[in-house]
Order: sequence, then structure tokens, then C-alpha cells
Amino acid sequence: MTIHKIKPSTRSNRVAKPLVSRDCGPAGCEVDWLTSGRVEVEDSIEAFTEASVELGWGDGLPLIPPTDARVRMFLSENDRYPDELIARMPDNSECTVEKIVINAVMAGAPPESLELIIAAIEAISEPDFELYGVNATTAPVFPGFIVNGPVRDALKIPYSYGCAGGVATRANAIGRAIRLIMRNVAGQVAGVTSQTTFGSPGRLASILMGEWEEKSPWAPLAERRAGVKGNAVTAFSTMGTMNVLDTTSTGAVAFLEMIGKSVSYAGANCYSPSMEYSEMTIGINPICAEIVAREVPNIEDVQEIIWKNAAASADWLQGLHRGQLESQGRVREDGKVYATPEPKDMVLFVCGGLGGLHALGLHSFGSSLSQTKAIAEAVPAAQAAE
Amino acid sequence: MTLIKVLDPTAKRMDDNASPGPDAGALAGKRIGFRLDQIWRCWDWISENWAAKFEAAGAEVSYWRSTNRSGEEGEEQARSLEAWLKTVDIVISGLANCGSCTGWTIRDAVAAANAGVPTVAVATKNFEAFAHELAARGGRSGLRVHVLPYPLNELSREEVEPVAEAYFEGLLSVMGASLTEKEIAA
Repeated sequence: MTIHKIKPSTRSNRVAKPLVSRDCGPAGCEVDWLTSGRVEVEDSIEAFTEASVELGWGDGLPLIPPTDARVRMFLSENDRYPDELIARMPDNSECTVEKIVINAVMAGAPPESLELIIAAIEAISEPDFELYGVNATTAPVFPGFIVNGPVRDALKIPYSYGCAGGVATRANAIGRAIRLIMRNVAGQVAGVTSQTTFGSPGRLASILMGEWEEKSPWAPLAERRAGVKGNAVTAFSTMGTMNVLDTTSTGAVAFLEMIGKSVSYAGANCYSPSMEYSEMTIGINPICAEIVAREVPNIEDVQEIIWKNAAASADWLQGLHRGQLESQGRVREDGKVYATPEPKDMVLFVCGGLGGLHALGLHSFGSSLSQTKAIAEAVPAAQAAE
Repeated sequence: MTLIKVLDPTAKRMDDNASPGPDAGALAGKRIGFRLDQIWRCWDWISENWAAKFEAAGAEVSYWRSTNRSGEEGEEQARSLEAWLKTVDIVISGLANCGSCTGWTIRDAVAAANAGVPTVAVATKNFEAFAHELAARGGRSGLRVHVLPYPLNELSREEVEPVAEAYFEGLLSVMGASLTEKEIAA
């Protein structure tokens, strides 16, 4: 038996875009470009929120009514046509710019976030992300997102204190817009299209955070993973956040040993016998990153140290569990099962407050593979027409 | 109260094939394919039990096991499924016994049904409604689903064998198998 290594496929969810006349542009067109059905509701946020739950559109939190005027205003701030097809979702439904914008309006996301949302949707709809399984599973998984480039500051995407949740920023609305698209277009509704046993708070507004590139001793994540410089988003599947507290270590190797051992537990996704491989995403705080890089300057070496420690002795695992992993060839010559096939499958990035002490474990789901996409520059339609 | 019009944020596929697909018909001489997975040992045991009965009735049995669906291996899985479907006359696809495994069981069953192969998906009771929901969202609302009791994988092999025996006749009915006297005797 040989270890199954993670190799990205050449498949893509790129879709043909409709060929219609663009002469008038999205801002000044007299034609009704918006093709979604209209529903009559009372003109108040309270009434619309209540109606949205009854209609199966909402998440229970207050929503902004997506009127024609609001949707058109949002579109006019961008150079995108509403009928543009961005992705086909797992049930073959069409995720168009129009559907994205309607959900973004409902969530209260700013118009300048459209390109980020589009890149995020493109990322999760790639076949290697396995959104079909992510949606359906009993696991609490949801797509999380790490943003690189200047767009982090432009959109106030948090990458410092509280970056994984709780910071007061409209980035929460952007994350929520993506979650509403997951619900309304991609098909992740608990008890209907998702069998999630417990769910997760991350299914309300996702995790949308930046990498603190300025504090990172290493190249930005998107550049390391996909060769994308500047504005980019990396989508990863995650079961939620897992904290790793370390108040005792000194030196790079000790910090990395603590991280590796902590994210490695019997019930972690990486030890599931339902597939032969998975990735692991880990956020390293800036203080720890600086200490580590002094001794271990290369990120590949950092990945390897964590990887060597993120392993479990096969003897430690329950018998039937061990048996299934053995039959998959995952018990290596040293008697251990490693969390990921190779060190490169440890997806590392730098984020978090300057208090240090903690690392952020983000266990993946199944064999879902993280996907990185460049974020196009947002150009207002009127400006684009000039 | 003033009324306003809001735009519908949802999107769903609109097409559907409500047909269950062709009946399995007579079994003798047919090539019956079991779609297995990596998780559910109970499904391996039940498949073995049913396979023996099919072979006794004069059918040939083959297996296709679902593994990794991402990366190069996922690409290869898609190719191998397509190739395997060309080698079988009937598909029994399981096991829908969790969220994602119901998803892939149904997705592969829909692929088989769309290829014109008589197809039955097998689900445990808890995932029956979910299996039908996903089949409908996959454009095959009429997909045949045979239901086993739940929980199942938590049982020992000795406990699962009687389940396999008890639910075989129901499988034949759902798949639209027409048995000859010889097959019934077997």
C-alpha cells in the first residue's frame, strides 16, 4: 500500500457566459436586466425578516429588503452584468451576479465587496473543493476564507485581534452574504440539504479574515499556494475553530511541536477513514511567527516540523478505526498515522492579535481541498464606461 | 402598511425527470453492479449477502468503490465510474447512511440512472427523506430508493446478516426485478 498524496486536478467549474448585448451597460440600461421573481412584502426590516424566514430565504437575523432600487444601486457601483453566470452549484443551479447581489444586499454587504464575494464563490465551486459533500454532510463544516492583498484594508477584513470572529466590521456582512448565497443558491440548509448534526456559528457569517502579511515572515498565503500576488482569497473547508494555548514553550521547535500535537486527535477529520487524505489549515499568531522564523526561516521547514508532530501512533487508535486506516495504507513504517499525506498539506498563515499565546486550528472536511482565486479590481460601472 | 416588492434570492435547477427509470426485469445473465464506499462495513456485508443471491439466480456481480472525490484521484474516480457504468446492466448504489455519503450515493445513482441503467439507491431509514431530496435536486425525483433500518453500521456482522436477508425481497420489488421460477427457487 502507498500513501495517497494530494494532487490538484485539472477539473474546473468555469462556465460559459451568456452572449447578450452589453451595449447599454449595467448602470444605464433601460432593459430590465433583473430576472428574479418579485415578492410583495411589508416595507419594514422586521416584516421582511419575518417573511424571509417563512419563504426560506433568511437565517433568522435582520435582513435588508432587496428591492429593485437597492439591487440596481449595488450593481451600478460595479462593472458586472446581472446575468453573468459565475458558477454552477452542486445541484446545477446557476449562481449569477444577480443572485449574488440580491443576497449581498440582504446581508448589508458593501457594493465594493462584490469582487471578493465573486472570487469566494468561484473558489468554493471548484470541483476539488467538493462543495457537494461539504453541503450534505453531518459534519458542522462551512467554507472559511483568508484574504490577501490591499483589499484587506479597503474592506476592513480583520487579520489582527479577533480576526476569526467578533470584530465590529462590515466584513461580517460580507461573510454573511456568502453564507446567504450558500443557503439560497448553493444549497446548504440544515435539515433540508444539509444533515449537519450540530451546525456551527460559522454558518451564520462564515470566517472571513485576512492574513497579516506585514507581520508574516513568509510570503503571503495566496502567493505560496497558488502563485497569486496581490488581492486574492483562499477558500478552505473548516469544522470551526480550535484553539491551541501555549504558555510554556520557548523556541521555534517547541511552539511547532505544541501546535502539531494539539491539532492531532483521534476524532479529527484528518483521521477519518471515509477518505484517504485531507488538508489542515492553521493560523499562527504574529508573535509566534516571528519567534519561529528566527530559528526556522523557511515556511516549508515550519510545515514539516508541525507535520511530524501532527501524527498519532496507530496503537493509540481504537481497533476498528485503526483497521480501516491500515487497510488504506495510512499506517506508516514508524507505526504512525500522519494527519496529512505530506508537510505541504499543512496550510499555514499568519493572523491574530499581538497577545500571542494561541494558535488557530481549522480542521478541514473530508478530502475538500483549499482553493485560491485572484480578486478582480472593483470598477464602478459608470467609470468603466468612460 | 406600505408594500414593497423584493427580489427572490434563491436559485434552483428547474428541470426534473420524475421517471424511476427502467425496471431491472429478469436477473439471469444480467451484470449487477454494487456501488460501495469506504465508510460503512455493514454495506460491504449486505452487498456480499445480496451478491451471493444474485449469483445464485444466474447474474454476474461486480463492485465499484467510491473513494476520494477531490484532486487527481477525484478526477480518476469520475472516469472510472463512467467506465464501470458501461459494464453493468443494473446498479445498486449505497450506502446513504450519513450526510455526505448520502450525497455521493445519490449523485452516483443519478449518474447511473441518467446513463439509462436500471438503478436503485440504498439508504438507511434516517436518511430516506434526504436521499429523495437530493435525488430531486439532482434532477431525478423519481429515483428508486430502497430503505434499510437505522442505525445499522453500529451492529455486528451477526446482527447485520438477518437484516440483509429480511430486506432482499424488498430490494427486488423496488428494483423492478421479475424472477423466473428457477430464480425464486434459488
